[in-house]
Amino acid sequence: MTTKALEIPPKPYTGEKAKLSRAYDYLILVLALFLFIGAFHLHVALTVGDWDFWADWKDRQWWPLVTPLMMITFPAAVQAVLWSNFRLPMGATLCISCLLIGSWIARIFAYHLWNYFPINEVLPATMLPSALVLDVILMLSNSLTITSIFGGIAFALLFYPSNWPIFGMFHAPVEYGGAQLTIADLFGFQYIRAGTPEYLRIIERGTLRTYGQYATPQSAFCSALLCTLMYPLWWYIGRAFATTRFVKNI
Amino acid sequence: MMKAMQALLGVLFLSLWGLTFAPHTALAHGEKALEPFIRMRTIQWYDVMWSKDKLNVNDEVVITGKFHVAEDWPRGVPKPDATYLNVSSPGPVFVRTERYLNGQASVSSAALKLGGDYDFKIVLKARLPGRYHLHPFFNLHDAGAVMGPGHWFEVVGDPAAFTNQVKTLDGNVIDMETYGLANGIGWHAFWFALGSAWLLWWVRRPLFIPRYKMLQSGQEKWLITSLDRKIAMVILLGVPLSVLGANATTDRQYPNAIPLQAAMDQIEPLPPAVNGGMVQIKVQRTEYHVPARAMTIIAQIQNTSDQSIRIGEFATANVRFLNPGVSPSRTDDSDTVVAPQGLSLDSADPIRVGETRTVRVTALDALWATQRLDGLIRDADSRMGGLLFLYDTNGKRHIASISTAVIPKFD
Repeated sequence: MTTKALEIPPKPYTGEKAKLSRAYDYLILVLALFLFIGAFHLHVALTVGDWDFWADWKDRQWWPLVTPLMMITFPAAVQAVLWSNFRLPMGATLCISCLLIGSWIARIFAYHLWNYFPINEVLPATMLPSALVLDVILMLSNSLTITSIFGGIAFALLFYPSNWPIFGMFHAPVEYGGAQLTIADLFGFQYIRAGTPEYLRIIERGTLRTYGQYATPQSAFCSALLCTLMYPLWWYIGRAFATTRFVKNI
Repeated sequence: MMKAMQALLGVLFLSLWGLTFAPHTALAHGEKALEPFIRMRTIQWYDVMWSKDKLNVNDEVVITGKFHVAEDWPRGVPKPDATYLNVSSPGPVFVRTERYLNGQASVSSAALKLGGDYDFKIVLKARLPGRYHLHPFFNLHDAGAVMGPGHWFEVVGDPAAFTNQVKTLDGNVIDMETYGLANGIGWHAFWFALGSAWLLWWVRRPLFIPRYKMLQSGQEKWLITSLDRKIAMVILLGVPLSVLGANATTDRQYPNAIPLQAAMDQIEPLPPAVNGGMVQIKVQRTEYHVPARAMTIIAQIQNTSDQSIRIGEFATANVRFLNPGVSPSRTDDSDTVVAPQGLSLDSADPIRVGETRTVRVTALDALWATQRLDGLIRDADSRMGGLLFLYDTNGKRHIASISTAVIPKFD
């Protein structure tokens, strides 16, 4: 009986204090939502950029290399804050969800309604499966080292197979203009982009064809290795910026 | 008084701020932005024409024309090893259905050869109603966009009537406007629902202050329950399995999927249309008279054709200076970058067969200033280039590409 009574979780606040604490939760969550929608979306637009914007940039080599590497950044930093201080294993999912909200707003309003591109040409990639796995690995391991290694690897390796069900159909072949193209390539030819000519695409360049015609696995594993290094780097960046040093005197 | 000033400033600020949200029609595409020496000495456009300029949605317009790739390509501009014949438009208000370079279908980037002559044909299909200004232009890798002549087009009709169907090599006919959209939205919605459920699972309980307090007081074990761990295990196993399963299903659905295509088109130049050998031109000196806005070219011209010839036109950076009476009459009155009487010669006599004569050609018009070509004299590379059009007595045209250093005259 005594043991069971002790299993009842303590409640630090009750009554008015609990209400105020909850109001504070909502205030922070709403602010975090807008902050991450803006900041993370901007970060991805500046670093991943065209690879995420256009169907005809989503190739086998650079897209799965660059996207996870640049998208593990904010999740790592936010996980460092939410897990270390609050034991909340939702930093990655929160960041990626905010990113997707921002991306979809931009694709609909900026790309489709403002610049007339069909939305199917500018569908964003999703990293939510990777983010969910990253969150639960941190939660179950409670270890920066294990999350860096296994979480970082999982984050990168899950990227391409998560997105292939969305973008695979755009790789069906078409005969057009005397050449074989993918439907994604055809978007780039037909729907005029004055400022992003075809030659600007950084796709299918490099020497990742060493193992026959399969470039994606090598690219994904390269990204996985880099993510294991990028994750702790941004974890410590998150820790460094999550300080009350500047508000102590207020 | 102070309050009135503040109110006035406030209204002014709000008005200016409001203006930023007012829609504006784009009337230009930066065609004058590139340095004059690049516009004059890279892609030299001529004979650009449009099949029609009033269209319904789904109608097609054909843009045809020719261009010469200047021999005296500027040293500061990377060689045209990767170029893209594009159309400047306010977004995809048209879709490009066909493109040909020298009669060869081309869907990718291409390398151009210095001194080469090319013709092109672009077929555009009207997609959205409106009035648009379009230019054919070349994207030059690491150099910028060299515009061709522009023209206004008016599209009317119902945008919902636009169709763009394509047949894949698998035999499926797809609509490019909607293909894959529902599938993409479906997958995004699925993962977003799962992610939101995970977030709500945590957000539903007291968050920051209580959890921080409990963590600091050593009550960490209450923050993650055994049910939390079980759900995490389900996610850890279930998400990768779902991802790999969906990936395998997609592979089976699209067994012929191919990588994005990254090849470059190989287009050989046409037999010489410019500098064809019948007329040899050697420029001796060129001066730009700043107050008069006049470019004077002193050139030695040798006529090796079998007819007398006269200079009818000088064209550079899409600006045409015509010699009235020699140049054929203009057919397109909407073209605003033509100086109909802008070209004059020191002698109206034709250059006879076999004759070599030094000629003083003056291209005079305010277009040098309004098209921002007079900035050449302040460029790092103040050499000019352009095309001289000469006509024989039968109306046959000879074209010569010239290039020359320019000396400014300020008085």
